[in-house]
Amino acid sequence: MKNKRYIMDRSIKILQDKDSYLDLRKQERVTLLEILDRALTKGVVISGDIVISLADVDLVYLGLKVLLSSVETMERLRGAPMAGAQEEPT
Amino acid sequence: MNTRQAQDGLIYLYCITDKVPKLKKIENLVDKPYFIYQQSLYAIVNRVKESEFAEDNLKRNLADLEWIKAKARSHEKAIEVIMKNAGVIPFKLATLFNSEDNLKAMLREHLEEFKDILVKLEDKEEWGVKIYCNLEKLKEGLMQEDGQLLNIDKEISSSVSGKAYFLKKKKEELLNIAENKKLNEYGQVSFDSLREESVQARINKLLPKEVTERKEEMILNSAFLIDKDKIDDFLNTVENLKIRYVDKCIFFDCTGPWPPYNFCNL
Repeated sequence: MKNKRYIMDRSIKILQDKDSYLDLRKQERVTLLEILDRALTKGVVISGDIVISLADVDLVYLGLKVLLSSVETMERLRGAPMAGAQEEPT
Repeated sequence: MNTRQAQDGLIYLYCITDKVPKLKKIENLVDKPYFIYQQSLYAIVNRVKESEFAEDNLKRNLADLEWIKAKARSHEKAIEVIMKNAGVIPFKLATLFNSEDNLKAMLREHLEEFKDILVKLEDKEEWGVKIYCNLEKLKEGLMQEDGQLLNIDKEISSSVSGKAYFLKKKKEELLNIAENKKLNEYGQVSFDSLREESVQARINKLLPKEVTERKEEMILNSAFLIDKDKIDDFLNTVENLKIRYVDKCIFFDCTGPWPPYNFCNL
């Protein structure tokens, strides 16, 4: 039944995990992340006259970090996330 | 020639389609969209300012968060709207040409490839599944269910400090191994069962926490190309995985339908 709802309302892009709260800001953040994860790193890359280099994409991601933290300043107060936590679990 | 010279600016390419695009519907998203036709293909474009998109200016703007946010959204939205009535080949954000002639030359060069891609994508949708794991909770769970770890814990509490130190090291090591094994298993099982419902599947680079800003670690970043009449099955599979892993601190973000960014490589 639940899936039917998703199908019927395709305009709602985010099928959030039911455990995470459906805060609008969070949805907004997820949407932006999803868009950038595609539009910046995927899509057809041709030798157009001006092309964003990979280095620029990384730059964008660094920017995204700041952007997202400004959206969720409150959440940021809990402290900075650890880098590479998956490779080197502590 | 003169008119072209007078029309300054760059050509921004959003996507290619093989049906007459309904441009009216994207007029509120991008400034004065139009199409360039070339041997059965329509390239959806508009003119953008050099002060915004010429190389150096573009680099500067890419550091401007609000600018990226706005451009990424309009790029995505415009393609999505076109996609409602036609198959599309989406281009990367800020794909730019100095002139219409350059764009046409590119279209001619890749004409057959573009046509093939559009045939391949017909009646299919791209969906994305990102899986996250709360590593702290996963470890807590492992400590309680893994016999070997439980035993070592008991041994630590009854050992003198020197031995306890080495046992703790050993425990950490075992915990890491058990954790990686579980993560691989969850990721693999999920990916495999989703892949079964798809025509094509892709695993992408994991995004670090700095980017996702979630407390959970991303353990799978995947994209699927799915037959339109199989979307229900695919979403059911996602739901079933959620149920299967409901106690395992695993979270799924399933999104779509997307323009087929992941499935139109030249």
